[in-house]
Amino acid sequence: MTSTSGSGSELLRVEGLQKHFPVTRGLVFQKEVGSVKAVDGVSFSLTAGETLGVVGESGCGKSTMARCIARLLEPTGGSITFEGRDITHLDRADMRPVRRDMMMVFQDPYASLNPRKRVGSIVGEPLEVHGVGTDTERKRRVQELLEIVGLNPEHFNRFPHEFSGGQRQRIGIARALAINPKLIICDEPVSALDVSVQAQILNLLKDLQDDFGLTYIFIAHDLNVVRHISDRVMVMYLGRAVELGDRDNLYREPKHPYTGALLSAVPIADPEQGRSRKQIILEGDVPSPLNPPEACHFHPRCPRFVDGKCNVDTPELIQHGSHFAACHFPLEFWPMSEDEMRRRTDAPSVPVAD
Amino acid sequence: MAAAALEVKDLSTSFRTDDGIVQAVSGVSFHLDQGATLGVVGESGSGKSVTFLTVMGLVDPRQATVRGSVLLQSEKMLGASQSRMRQIRGRTIGMIFQDPMTSLNPVKTIGWQLQEAVLIHQDVSKKEARKQAIDILREVEIPRADQRVDDYPHQFSGGMRQRVMIAMALINNPEILIADEPTTALDVTTQAQILRLMKKLQAEHQTAIVMITHDLGVVAELADQVIVMYGGKVVEQANVDDLFVKPEMPYTWGLLGSLPRLNATGARLDQIPGQPPSLLNPPSGCPFHPRCEFVMNICRTELPGLNASTVGHDHRFRCHLDEEARTRIWTQKKAALVSEDAA
Amino acid sequence: MTQFLIRRIFWAIFLFLVATIITYLIFWVIPSDPAALAAGKSATPADIARVRHFLHLDEPIWKQYLRFVWQLVRHGSLGESFVNRQPVRTIISKDAPVTASLVFGGAVLWLALSIPVGILSALRPRSIMDRVTMTLVLIGISAHPVWIGLIFSYVFGYKLGLTPIAGYCNFFPGTVGAQCEGPVQWAYHMILPWCTFMILFAALYVRLIRANVMETMNEDYVRTARAKGASQRRVMVQHVLRNSMLPVVTILGMDLGLALGGAIFTEGIFNLPGLGREIVGAYNRADLPLITGIVVFSTIAVIVFNFLVDVTYGFLDPRIRPS
Repeated sequence: MTSTSGSGSELLRVEGLQKHFPVTRGLVFQKEVGSVKAVDGVSFSLTAGETLGVVGESGCGKSTMARCIARLLEPTGGSITFEGRDITHLDRADMRPVRRDMMMVFQDPYASLNPRKRVGSIVGEPLEVHGVGTDTERKRRVQELLEIVGLNPEHFNRFPHEFSGGQRQRIGIARALAINPKLIICDEPVSALDVSVQAQILNLLKDLQDDFGLTYIFIAHDLNVVRHISDRVMVMYLGRAVELGDRDNLYREPKHPYTGALLSAVPIADPEQGRSRKQIILEGDVPSPLNPPEACHFHPRCPRFVDGKCNVDTPELIQHGSHFAACHFPLEFWPMSEDEMRRRTDAPSVPVAD
Repeated sequence: MAAAALEVKDLSTSFRTDDGIVQAVSGVSFHLDQGATLGVVGESGSGKSVTFLTVMGLVDPRQATVRGSVLLQSEKMLGASQSRMRQIRGRTIGMIFQDPMTSLNPVKTIGWQLQEAVLIHQDVSKKEARKQAIDILREVEIPRADQRVDDYPHQFSGGMRQRVMIAMALINNPEILIADEPTTALDVTTQAQILRLMKKLQAEHQTAIVMITHDLGVVAELADQVIVMYGGKVVEQANVDDLFVKPEMPYTWGLLGSLPRLNATGARLDQIPGQPPSLLNPPSGCPFHPRCEFVMNICRTELPGLNASTVGHDHRFRCHLDEEARTRIWTQKKAALVSEDAA
Repeated sequence: MTQFLIRRIFWAIFLFLVATIITYLIFWVIPSDPAALAAGKSATPADIARVRHFLHLDEPIWKQYLRFVWQLVRHGSLGESFVNRQPVRTIISKDAPVTASLVFGGAVLWLALSIPVGILSALRPRSIMDRVTMTLVLIGISAHPVWIGLIFSYVFGYKLGLTPIAGYCNFFPGTVGAQCEGPVQWAYHMILPWCTFMILFAALYVRLIRANVMETMNEDYVRTARAKGASQRRVMVQHVLRNSMLPVVTILGMDLGLALGGAIFTEGIFNLPGLGREIVGAYNRADLPLITGIVVFSTIAVIVFNFLVDVTYGFLDPRIRPS
């Protein structure tokens, strides 16, 4: 892997990130009666060159968090430090130079490209915005980028609708690469693609990371995809991080019951394994972020729920064994069936250094 | 042997569009046994949805040309009258679709919509229909069914709406349930609930299920038999175990290899180059040949017939590669996948 | 619900102020002298000055405006016409029924025509019937109501003698000096105006309804209904129509509200003594109180109809209801 300067150093630090959307009532004078706590206190750090996978279901706040980090939204609390600089509340002018180093790739390849612009113009826009190079240089760079992402450089004059979904996603990636960012935040980049095309894009992203020393935040709801591409994984539920750690450890030995339920809910492409595994099926729906449950957000659906503890004390994200989990009664082993999950040890666990 | 619930032979559907003729389905044959589950796997452009919309008679006859034969327990469906088809739809065959958010009428209560399903097919009073609606809502595990029956669709979550859809499809106790990507739009934990519910309902009502999906994991969990579709044709069919033990066709290999799997490390995925085919100008010969890494000259000109596999009963596939080549290639690919699993 | 009403009332007052202030501003800016116009051709400069003072036109414009508002709030009066000193309220109450007859009658006709035609066209897109309809729609939108009115008037009224050419009859008999009266005469005189007035709207609505029905027929829940075995009739009536008509309700409310402000062209051609004809005359004579009065009436009509639309919409679409 080609190393860039600073590889191994801390690139991004997020602490206590909060994004609350106010809900108002009132005729003339709008009074805040509540808020949607889309992101409710998320902390993690990101090392240069690594890929952090963020996984969670609808309403967990992962997309909102991504937008906060990219400063497309302004956080209502907490801090974001990028390359040692606090970018939490920077105004647009100050954010501009930062945006050269932080780009985003979006989910919908059909909606994230302006249909009235030619592909060359779309990919070259970051160069234009940041005043990089002359027209000729930009054109050359655009063609270079198209080639890097596996498209025909001759096609820079075409419109997005002339390309397939997978190709459009490549265009989006080329656009993100245009000014050599350090960090790329990918918000569900393969969810809208066919399986066979998905693999191409995942491979491409990995290759680009090796070639250009990129750091990724990779957001997805598909656990398989996240497993494949990430070094570390963070699991989110209703605005909070419930588990965070090294990928292999997290998938092999999840500590949080929600992570366990997620893992066991994913259908396995192998009938034998599928039949023999223990499945945990959660009851009920994901609650609304408008009215999250008290203390531990997961407690109404948790097989390990202990009345008086889980609905009173909010669990902190603390170290249990090899990674971090926010649970009073983390899982002792894995795999575990639903019954085994209910039979927890009664003492709240003491964090163990491994 | 009991008559198959559904027997489809050589089904073809083409559409007249402004750009030309789209050959959505060509020469598709399969059968669905009573009480069994058939998995239909394919990506966009595979023709998997159109096949079953054709079976249900939901394609616009002004634009579509349909050929072939569809037998519903020995009754011919393709030539049947409109009124007979309406009798079958919702009564003998129920169908649920992908997006539960848009598949329910937003201005009518779900109770009304369930009752409608009953009143179309059963000669009962409104009161009786309402009772059946509440009963089936309980069966699909909607809490407080007697109250929620008067709610509107927007008052339910995605998973709940899909349960309502399933209830609506099953309320008249059909022989067959066709489910077109029913869990694709749902969260993974909700998907697990819905799949478990479907298994339970199938066991209780002995309904045959057609599960259309792109997700091989769902197929592995639910299906007894599987057909793999590509470019409007069936390219492989087998029992579910046989399909995963010895897939015989490069597209199936590609599908299995390109899946990022839960137990595998981050090695390179076995990707399939190119993109799904255009049905406007389908490639000649084998539909998969433009993307196949083992393509030979004959693949470009001649469509492979459905040959029988050495593994499994009723396991067929389309490929010009000979037995030796296919076995060798699959063994190599499988070894690569297994070594990832072991890590 | 009360919150909704209160918000609406605030909004109504705000709109009223904006509309009337703008009217006064425009009046202040345009170079016309209503005093001179009102005084008459043989007036001397002294007469004109006296008239000007009498009509308060020598006051600053904002004072005139406040006088107007005070008058309205205190006495419920809209002032008196500069020209003939008649109370504006009286003038409006005489003219409004005429305009209302035209507008509501026309609305009934255009809906009766456009709904079936729109639906049929949507059911058979690109058929001959559909193409013919769309061509007629294009003509209906492009042709000016004055032109249409004149042609109707000439062909049906003058040449064929089937209907009266112009004039209005009171619906209720018993007015002094009326040339004709009674419901039959009223309708007879309104036939041509109705047909003229409704053509543009019918064309627009056919296009709108056709587009809505076509779009609704492609919705997923229509597919679900078919998959349940519903007949085409049931699908159309129970699923398609209710949903595709929702936008029609909104637009209908807006159109009615606006049209009540004065269907100027049609009233002009057929010499109907309605608000449209009245306000044109008022412009020409710079008759500020009358202009303002009709503006106020128009604004109120728009507000009332928008409110009705919102209520009806909430009734038809459960997603909109306040919960």
